[in-house]
Amino acid sequence: MVEALRLTLDRQSRKRVCAGTGKDEHWLAILPVTLIFGPLLPGMYWALAPALDVAVWQSLWADSQWPQALCATLLSSILGTVLACGLASSLATLHYPSARWLALRRRLPLLLSVPHAAFAVGFFFLVAPSGWLARLVAQFAHWTSPPDWITVQDPYGLSLALALAIKESWFLLWVLSAVLGEQNVVRQMVVARSLGYSRVQTWRLILWPQLMPRMGWPIAAVFAYGLSVVDMAIILGPGAPPTLAVLIWHWLSDPDPTFQARGSAASIILLCILLVCAAAAHWLWRLGQARLSYPSGARRPARALRWMNLHTPLFLTGYAIVSVLLVWSVADTWFFPALWPDTVSLDSWKQTDWSPFWTTLWLGVAASFLCLPAALIWLEWGPQRFNVVLYLPLIVPAMPLVAAQYAALLHLQLDGTPAALVWSHLPWVLPYMILTLVGAYRAFDQRLMTSSRALGCSRWRACLSVKWPILFRPIIATMAVGFAVSVAQYLPTLFAGGGRFVTVTTEAVALSAGGNRRVLAVQALLQIALPVASFALAAFLPYWVSRNRKGLR
Amino acid sequence: MTARLSYFDKQQLEFTCMKLSTLAAIALSLAMPTLASADWSKIQSEAKGQTVYFNAWGGSDATNAYITWAAKEVQTRYGIEVRHVKVTDTAEIVKRVQTEMNTGRTTDGSVDLMWINGENFRNLKQGGLLFGPWAEALPNWGLVDLRKPVRSDFSVPTEGFESPWGTAQLTFIADRAKTSTPPRSASELLAFAKANPGRVTYPKPPNFHGTTFIKQLLLELAPNRAALEQPVTPEALAAATQPLWAYLDQLHTHLWRNGKTFPASAAEMHRMLADGELKLSLTFNPNEASNLIAAKQLPATAYSFGFSGGTIGNVHFVAIPVNARAKAGAQVFANFLLSAEAQARKADLSVWGDGTVLDVTKIPATLQAVMRKTAPGALAETVPTLAEPHASWVAALEAEWLKRYGSH
Repeated sequence: MVEALRLTLDRQSRKRVCAGTGKDEHWLAILPVTLIFGPLLPGMYWALAPALDVAVWQSLWADSQWPQALCATLLSSILGTVLACGLASSLATLHYPSARWLALRRRLPLLLSVPHAAFAVGFFFLVAPSGWLARLVAQFAHWTSPPDWITVQDPYGLSLALALAIKESWFLLWVLSAVLGEQNVVRQMVVARSLGYSRVQTWRLILWPQLMPRMGWPIAAVFAYGLSVVDMAIILGPGAPPTLAVLIWHWLSDPDPTFQARGSAASIILLCILLVCAAAAHWLWRLGQARLSYPSGARRPARALRWMNLHTPLFLTGYAIVSVLLVWSVADTWFFPALWPDTVSLDSWKQTDWSPFWTTLWLGVAASFLCLPAALIWLEWGPQRFNVVLYLPLIVPAMPLVAAQYAALLHLQLDGTPAALVWSHLPWVLPYMILTLVGAYRAFDQRLMTSSRALGCSRWRACLSVKWPILFRPIIATMAVGFAVSVAQYLPTLFAGGGRFVTVTTEAVALSAGGNRRVLAVQALLQIALPVASFALAAFLPYWVSRNRKGLR
Repeated sequence: MTARLSYFDKQQLEFTCMKLSTLAAIALSLAMPTLASADWSKIQSEAKGQTVYFNAWGGSDATNAYITWAAKEVQTRYGIEVRHVKVTDTAEIVKRVQTEMNTGRTTDGSVDLMWINGENFRNLKQGGLLFGPWAEALPNWGLVDLRKPVRSDFSVPTEGFESPWGTAQLTFIADRAKTSTPPRSASELLAFAKANPGRVTYPKPPNFHGTTFIKQLLLELAPNRAALEQPVTPEALAAATQPLWAYLDQLHTHLWRNGKTFPASAAEMHRMLADGELKLSLTFNPNEASNLIAAKQLPATAYSFGFSGGTIGNVHFVAIPVNARAKAGAQVFANFLLSAEAQARKADLSVWGDGTVLDVTKIPATLQAVMRKTAPGALAETVPTLAEPHASWVAALEAEWLKRYGSH
């Protein structure tokens, strides 16, 4: 992923890639991308045009909810991002390179595949005043009713920030491990350590200045996600007023056009916040670098940091979240302060409504199968200098994009149709798939292509019978990522589907406002099961396909 | 010729004409049912094979299961496919219909039938966005109990633009193990909240249950209840709500999290009541507590009660948007929902427990028995019904509430 981002910014590679690409194939590669992203441009105009009126901004300014909503949004997204960066960087500082780091890396994919909504539901079950942790304390404190704690849905969005921090730290760790894997960091560490710099000093003075520029985009993506997240904010965020993203969502779906215009105006504000914060962070980083570019050279003795065991609690949280969901899904009666359900039954599973599951399944399969050819053709023939444009949906708050999508669908009279629903997922599925695939695609040994061309194959034929089959493993992994991205989509499903399509994600969020925690736990587990199954399949299929091809293993 | 007619002739002629017209009227009135049934069979045959998108609040398992049952029935009986589109807030559907009409989608709308009442109905009716009148031409309209407020929805006349579906009444729930004597009025509620700090709250308006709770307090505290039946004006709002805000200012300091934040829904309150985090919950279905006990979402000691001065109650309806695709199918489904069988099943405590809009004396005795069933937890006492304020009050109250308490 980071490799990809680096390449798009790397002028050298641009020229190399573009050479030898025919104009016709160029268009072939641009066409599917245009189909996916094209309607967003007029949609953006239709969705945001109502905000061009001064009166709209005045009404937004006069709204009593929005200052605090803005405050909660800023706090939860900034704190969440900073904490996630802190967690990921201290883990890397402490453990890279070591056996523990490898173990951590191995466990990451499983945790990464837990969707945000399911994570939020599990987190709620853990830390709510009637949650597992409080029940645990109640055993010793002899409480009979839940404590008057404000652990979730606090007015400042702190619990939301904490949940975001834990969830996103896994993502940042994963990106970090990819960046660290690609170059001679270990050698530099050895040199620095042998010169007497401590581990922490080595990271601060030598490694972070090199790694941070590459981490910029992923961190921006984490921040943008925190700014516009609606599903997690509904479950864990404040209620009066909610975060800005939830407020915008309410406004955009209000029958009154003045509220809709206010929603458009506020989604422009979200965009501005992202730009301002990204610029500020960039400037701060530059400033810090300028100050620290001539370190004093003083060596600090290495302190024993063995006691700092951060990764255990981080992973324990993940496992506890999945376990509490499992226990709730088989609970029969389970009221506070019982630590375990009084009785256990499979009723919730037997009475499960499977239609959201099947909808999610066909939707994810359709989205990833549609995006695969688009991604492959783009990587082979597309003008790679525009990759950064494709990645925009990942670093732009989702709210204005979804509004644009919905406006475009309304004008095309396609809203609420299966085709519209699938399309609404593609602007997120495609960039993630390209991002996942691009590293392996660039690393492909071009000599194999040259040989097949020399043997008389057309470029198409060479791709179909040599390049893509060899790349089977990354391609199938890419599809699993695309599927998982589709499973997690909440806002596009809600708007483009017109409420006619219920996925495990929308169902879990809808149920989170309801009272039946057992049904909620089942849907959240189904939401986890789908991506986990797809990743498992992606791990198994290449093994099976290449069972009698030694070179592919 | 007229000039030559004698007075008698004229009389005779007039008499004959009168007789003729009377005869014609009688003949016509005799023909009406057959004409109507001819129309109805035309609608039924048109409805066959149609897909009806029924947009209805989907926040309750019992309701969803009932709609699934009804959909299955009309599929086998009339060949209509009903798809339940679960919505969280009916205002979303209103917006959808408005947006569709604004973008010129006047015939092929995405909503065929919607569960609606009050302010949303008023918005759609005012905007000319409803198909009709059709409701009073339904064959099962004859069974409806006209003594219930089925022709007026929050003081707005329905005029056949929506068909009644069920009745509801604000009901409170408590746990006998923790609360033996519940509050029976607004003033007792305040005292109860003071005695149990942090254990009382209500859903955040504009959540439907939250707004209903505010309206309940308004009905009790307003100096002149008759003013609430008229469309709202800024002056009327200020005069009627003055005691309400004074009451809430007092109440909020004793609420859950000091009234700085509120649960999102009544369902969330049921969960908090079950865990003992709250001492009171509320519902708009007098039988919901018994359903929740059966579903093991509330302890068996939960019970329902109302205020002694009465609680707010209303009728909920189904309506067809003007741009619906399957208008015939929607009418046939609405007619089925009004049938004695469907209404009895809906009133059955083990299914949903929603009050009927039919005249119980007009339906078969076996079905009457189903309607009279009771179960532990359900409202066992008779609570007087208070009429809803005029629909225009809802938006005004919600806006004022949000302004005062929407941010901490």
